[in-house]
Amino acid sequence: MTKILLIEDEQIMLDLLRRKLTEEGYEVFVAKDGEEGLKVMAEINPDIILLDIIMPRKGGFEVMEEMQKDPNLKRIPVIIISNSGQPVELSRAQKLGAKDWLIKTEFDPQEVINKVKKQLWQKQS
Amino acid sequence: MFSYNFYLNIFLIFLIILLFIFYQRKVNDLKKAYEEVEVILAIRTKARTRALNELARSLEEKVKRRTKELEESRIALMGTLEDVEDARKIAEGEKDKTLSIITNFSDGLLFFDKENKLSLINPQAEKLFDIKNQNTIGKSVSELESFGNLNLLVKTIGNEIKEISKKELLLDSLTLEVSTISIIKGDEKTGILVILHDITREKTIEKLKTEFVSLSAHQLRTPLSAIKWTLKMLLDGDLGEITKEQKEYISKTYQSNERMIDLINDLLNITRIEEGKYLFNPVLSDFQEIVQLAISSSEDIIQKRKIKLKFEKPEKKLPKVKIDKEKIELVIQNLLTNALIYTSPGGEIIISLKNSEEGIEFKISDTGIGIPKIQQERVFTKFFRGSNAMRVDTGGTGLGLYISKNIIEAHNGKIWFESKEGNGTTFYFTLPCGKRLLKNSEVL
Repeated sequence: MTKILLIEDEQIMLDLLRRKLTEEGYEVFVAKDGEEGLKVMAEINPDIILLDIIMPRKGGFEVMEEMQKDPNLKRIPVIIISNSGQPVELSRAQKLGAKDWLIKTEFDPQEVINKVKKQLWQKQS
Repeated sequence: MFSYNFYLNIFLIFLIILLFIFYQRKVNDLKKAYEEVEVILAIRTKARTRALNELARSLEEKVKRRTKELEESRIALMGTLEDVEDARKIAEGEKDKTLSIITNFSDGLLFFDKENKLSLINPQAEKLFDIKNQNTIGKSVSELESFGNLNLLVKTIGNEIKEISKKELLLDSLTLEVSTISIIKGDEKTGILVILHDITREKTIEKLKTEFVSLSAHQLRTPLSAIKWTLKMLLDGDLGEITKEQKEYISKTYQSNERMIDLINDLLNITRIEEGKYLFNPVLSDFQEIVQLAISSSEDIIQKRKIKLKFEKPEKKLPKVKIDKEKIELVIQNLLTNALIYTSPGGEIIISLKNSEEGIEFKISDTGIGIPKIQQERVFTKFFRGSNAMRVDTGGTGLGLYISKNIIEAHNGKIWFESKEGNGTTFYFTLPCGKRLLKNSEVL
């Protein structure tokens, strides 16, 4: 089963995405901040990560920086789900290896699923 | 008879009488002559005296007149001298006034003479550059570099002292606005005035405001996305079956939420414009393609509103333009959406492109409600909405054209319009290409 790790501090977004992704048949793991996220990903080795940027304790950029240092974690595709989409942030995320970027107000859960599918498909081929 | 003597005596007496008479007559004659002479003399004397008198009088008059003239000249001269003295006093007073204004002026002031040597500096400027009681007068611009922080000013104004207007200069924790003004008398340049205006407070407030709006907009987006996602999942049936009526209400709520998101996005765009970091990574792009894309993405609403849209493509292919694609798309989208919303069904919109002197020119005309003449001046201001536009659509934010203008101007382009209420509106904008291409240095 495809494992997805959701790192997001907003409970309702977490619930909604978990529900949607579970319905799609994925095995969903969640973490409520960056630090917890890093711990969980080391344990479960997910196929893909959905990552928020602004979070308590450790933010999304720091999570990606730490992932870059670890050859195992570095390989996992990351899709950013954020409230903001400033061009400077986008380019920073790209440099840190993010595969895609979603602004929450501009996308809905179904579109998130589509992005996830696309990334997983690209990873396989 | 009578004797001879007697006769002789009588004769003698007679003779004497005759002589006496003769003498008397002669005397009388003489007297008369004398009197006549006297009269003549008197007359002559009188005449001479009169002439003399007249001469004397005329001389006297002449003297008097001259004296008067001299007196008048003297008074006039004195007056002139007094005037000069007064003028000198006034000039001195004015000079004192000017000096005291310069000394007590809250802005820093420096005056350089025509050889670019410092001839005046006020205490505020000395304080700003930390050069109190230092002998800076008479020094050239390059010599001044070694005094206090003046090197920072020299860097801003240059050794030749360029004409600059409101250029910002960071000085420790202060932000100064530097302007230079050439002082010209007649045709000759007598020097240049450098004005330093402290705008630290304005900058701080502006920054706080921008940060506040930016932060609150981000904070507002979080719950709005939660609402959006929940409603969307409800509508899609992901959270269980809902009735038709429930679906309708949720759908309307979803639309309201979308409007709120648009408003917040516009607010964020504004703060980003005001922070000056709006243009990102301009690349050479095919402008016609961008316009085509914007039209395609509005296809639904064009059909729904039964509007005829004509896209008049240029005869010759347009040169590529260096633009921030995403922002230019936003401008076209804003103008197209406005045309679509404010044109009644059955109306017409024409979009055309051409290559002009100014670069590429985009034109969009509609047969819509137009903009009231009295409000036309405010069209590009923040939060402006036409009074007739508000009746047609209550949802607009009044930020689209403000943002568009800022984007076009950030590209060194121009945006303008022509409109008649009830007859329609035409918006134009140009984007420089070729030699006038956007320079990288103008982009953050």
